[in-house]
Amino acid sequence: MSRIAMKVNGADITKDVADPTLLSEFLREHLGLTGTHVGCDTTQCGCCVVHLDGVSVKSCTVLVGQAAGHAVTTIEGLAEGGQLHPVQKAFRECHGLQCGFCTPGMIMAATELIATYPGTLNEHVVREEMEGNLCRCTGYHNIVRAILTAAEEMLGPDRVVQPASDHAKTEG
Amino acid sequence: MLASLWNLVDHNTKDQFAPLQERIKLSLPPQKFKSVGKPVRRNEDERLITGRGRFTDDFSLPGQVFAVMVRSPHPHATIKGIDVSAALEMDGVLGVYTGADLAADGLGQIAHNPVPSTKYDVKLTGRGGTPVYIGEHYLLPMDRVRHVGEAVAMVVAETRQQAQAGAEAVMVDYDPLPWVADTTAATAPDAPRLWDALPDNVLVDSIFGDVKNTDTAFAGAAHVVSMRTHLGRVTGVPLEPRAALGDYDAKTGRYTLYAGSGGAVRQKHEMSSVLGVTPDKMRVISFDVGGNFGTRNRAFIEFGLVVWAAKKLGRPVKFRADRSESFLTDYQGRDLVTEVSLAIDANGKFLALRAHNLSNVGARCVSLSPLSKGSGLITGSYDIPYATLHSRAVYSNTMSTQAYRSSGRPEVTFAIERLIDKAARELGYDRIALRRRNLVKPSQMPYTNAVGSKYDSGEYEKNMDRLLEIGDFAGAKKRKEEAKARGKLLGIGFANYVESSIGTPKERADLIVRPGGVEVVIGTQPAGQGHETSFAQVTADLLGIAFEKVKITLGDTDVVSAGGGTHSGRSMRHASAVISLAVTDMIAKGKAIMAASLNIDPASVEFDDGCFRSTASNRTIDWFDLARLAIALSPDHADGVKVRRDNEMHTPVFPNGSCMCEIEIDPQTGGLELLRYATVDDVGRCINPMIVHGQTHGGIAQGVGQALWEGCVIDPESGQPLAAAFTDYGMPRFDNMPSFVTEIAEVISPTNPLGVKAGGEGGTTPAPAVIMSAIEDALLDYGPPDVSMPATPLKIWTAIHKGKSA
Ligand code: FES
Ligand code: FES
Repeated sequence: MSRIAMKVNGADITKDVADPTLLSEFLREHLGLTGTHVGCDTTQCGCCVVHLDGVSVKSCTVLVGQAAGHAVTTIEGLAEGGQLHPVQKAFRECHGLQCGFCTPGMIMAATELIATYPGTLNEHVVREEMEGNLCRCTGYHNIVRAILTAAEEMLGPDRVVQPASDHAKTEG
Repeated sequence: MLASLWNLVDHNTKDQFAPLQERIKLSLPPQKFKSVGKPVRRNEDERLITGRGRFTDDFSLPGQVFAVMVRSPHPHATIKGIDVSAALEMDGVLGVYTGADLAADGLGQIAHNPVPSTKYDVKLTGRGGTPVYIGEHYLLPMDRVRHVGEAVAMVVAETRQQAQAGAEAVMVDYDPLPWVADTTAATAPDAPRLWDALPDNVLVDSIFGDVKNTDTAFAGAAHVVSMRTHLGRVTGVPLEPRAALGDYDAKTGRYTLYAGSGGAVRQKHEMSSVLGVTPDKMRVISFDVGGNFGTRNRAFIEFGLVVWAAKKLGRPVKFRADRSESFLTDYQGRDLVTEVSLAIDANGKFLALRAHNLSNVGARCVSLSPLSKGSGLITGSYDIPYATLHSRAVYSNTMSTQAYRSSGRPEVTFAIERLIDKAARELGYDRIALRRRNLVKPSQMPYTNAVGSKYDSGEYEKNMDRLLEIGDFAGAKKRKEEAKARGKLLGIGFANYVESSIGTPKERADLIVRPGGVEVVIGTQPAGQGHETSFAQVTADLLGIAFEKVKITLGDTDVVSAGGGTHSGRSMRHASAVISLAVTDMIAKGKAIMAASLNIDPASVEFDDGCFRSTASNRTIDWFDLARLAIALSPDHADGVKVRRDNEMHTPVFPNGSCMCEIEIDPQTGGLELLRYATVDDVGRCINPMIVHGQTHGGIAQGVGQALWEGCVIDPESGQPLAAAFTDYGMPRFDNMPSFVTEIAEVISPTNPLGVKAGGEGGTTPAPAVIMSAIEDALLDYGPPDVSMPATPLKIWTAIHKGKSA
């Protein structure tokens, strides 16, 4: 047992937890923040991605002690002042989610990608950079579009190349 | 004589569906749709993008404890004894349970009801028409284990870690038995037997179609082309691992099960029968479900175990599968071996088809859908006058198979489409022209195929032509040359498909109009398909109200009283039909309420465009005014004006389409890149194109995954499954998938009020065929390649080098 203190979504948290507790487990089971999902046991699905001091981490592979003293942001803390984050909005707008299980991890990973990628974002870059997140429902097509749509809103049109139109007849 | 597969009277006339249309009249003409047909953004999304989804493992109950299963390391072994004493001594362990404990409490088996039984399903039987032998399925076996990963005991402890440690300490004395996992090997007369009551492992052995005329056609044919294919074993991999939370209320004697599935109502009945209680003693809650694809449609043993243990221990019991447990013990899919031959005349006209299908059901038979669904579609999109089909199913020492996305259809599509490619190649036909020559024509619709399936509608040739256009088939030759100049091999794959959507025939809707809005309670169970949105679009338009005013309620059996769940692409069609009927009833009820409350003649009230009017009064009222009037009129309406409507609809529909892809192979490495992927899918009326396109995208990925990466491989030496993590099981990923060009064709089905077919499975159905077709096209210079699925770079590289040396 250790006393763990950290900032979670802007709030100071102090809890006594068993040492082997994973950050994902701590968030879900001790803090009730069930938006962070667990989809595997080998650090490969990305459903559990949160930000640790602004950097994407797979929270299933971080011990709670490693996060002590740091600031954690989860999907629940992404919208500020009741305003959805541009990435959240774009996922809805572009139908970048179906069952929604991969979605929190996708959104957190994409948010950091857009915020930190130094060059021009295009489909190829998004597909390479997001490779650590799996989705079984969407075939990734609309997630790529959601990320580039949000990127354009956040970075401006000069930093983003949108993919070619995809549906011969669609979108009403 | 044509032995029809379908138990129906065959009026093969143009207006055979007219009576049905008559019976279920739409309350408004389609041109008045405001919301239907639009890419309305989803009602589901707000909670899911903010982390407020309600997946099974998100629920926690005070005092809950954790269950972990002890699983068999053997593919086949007698259980000689289970020693739980050491485990019971462990820290935090509250109980260790085996099959004997369940038997002592009188728990029953899971009644999977595997033989499809709607009147349009093929009638599968055992040898010589005998009943299909279904081996027992208790929650935990007492006699022997029949596949690696089969649970033999459950440990419950205060924490998950303690339960895991306890499970390590359970000592099971196994006596290993000979085993068989391979589909064909399992049929051998001397193969190890799974069930003592069966003389061999074959549980289904049925012949359909017109044997005599098929034989005659083959005898007189100018050409016969044959092939053998195997669509291998894959698994659904919903990203939410399966989970269950059981609770028991000693005061009321009621069980509550939180468990995501393909239909809470079905699970409620199955689990109450296992526990031996009446269904009203079982409540099942299934809100957000993190992917299903068919593999969650049948009950998992853990569902029964957690509720039973919750009663035993007086504490809620939670289970969540690890990913490795999901790979080993989620219900799996496909695994069908087909031998198929096509008789062709001198002009390239198809004369007859003969097929032998063999389905591997695994250790226990939970569903024969993969075998039966394909059986009615063996002739594909083509006019082939005669066919015979020999359908068999076999037990093996593997996890059970179940209907996995587009159950049975990718298998038969693969057989016919790959066979046509082969015929074109061997006989010197252009592969598109040969298809064109034989496609079922719109003038033949409704078309009864050689095994009795009645295709409701479709414009197959038009789909194909449109696809060739959007996929730029004309430019392919040039792109091939350009690729060659770069040292790459470019291949174009092509396939048509037709599939059937049948599914549980019954559905119920409760429609409730209140002053503030409308609620629809319905028994389908989405796992990402957006029912809360598309059903609201239909309801809003039929009532003539705003989309935002409609709320769809699903997934809690205390609210949803009946319903068929979600499978076989049934939901949109069944929901739109039953909602149409409920709206019709509601309009009648509304007229009566307005008349009673204004004291006017009911016959004077008319409904149009969302409003009730009467010639006897100058009042015009909308639905919400009506709800207010109703409340004032009678306490019966205190919670809104309610209509409950049941509908039973058996007639299947036949979604169809065309698909092509373009790949590039690096002959140095065998590496493959997907460059283009295009589809045209006739889904009938499309309620929400955004959602349907999304379904197509996801479906494509699953079909492509099967062709290129996915496989539940079993080590032939040890019988051990080798794919138990994302490290071993190849998945479609961001960087191995292309963007898609998908187009929706809407040929309205005459079988249901809105003309819906289905949109969930068309992406998957032709995908394995189209990928393998492209690989073959790319490697033609090396001789017809013999590459099995998944077509890994090693297999492709080997085919290139074999071809070179030949
Ligand atoms: S849960 Fe899969 S990567 Fe963390
Ligand atoms: S939306 Fe279901 S896993 Fe991505």
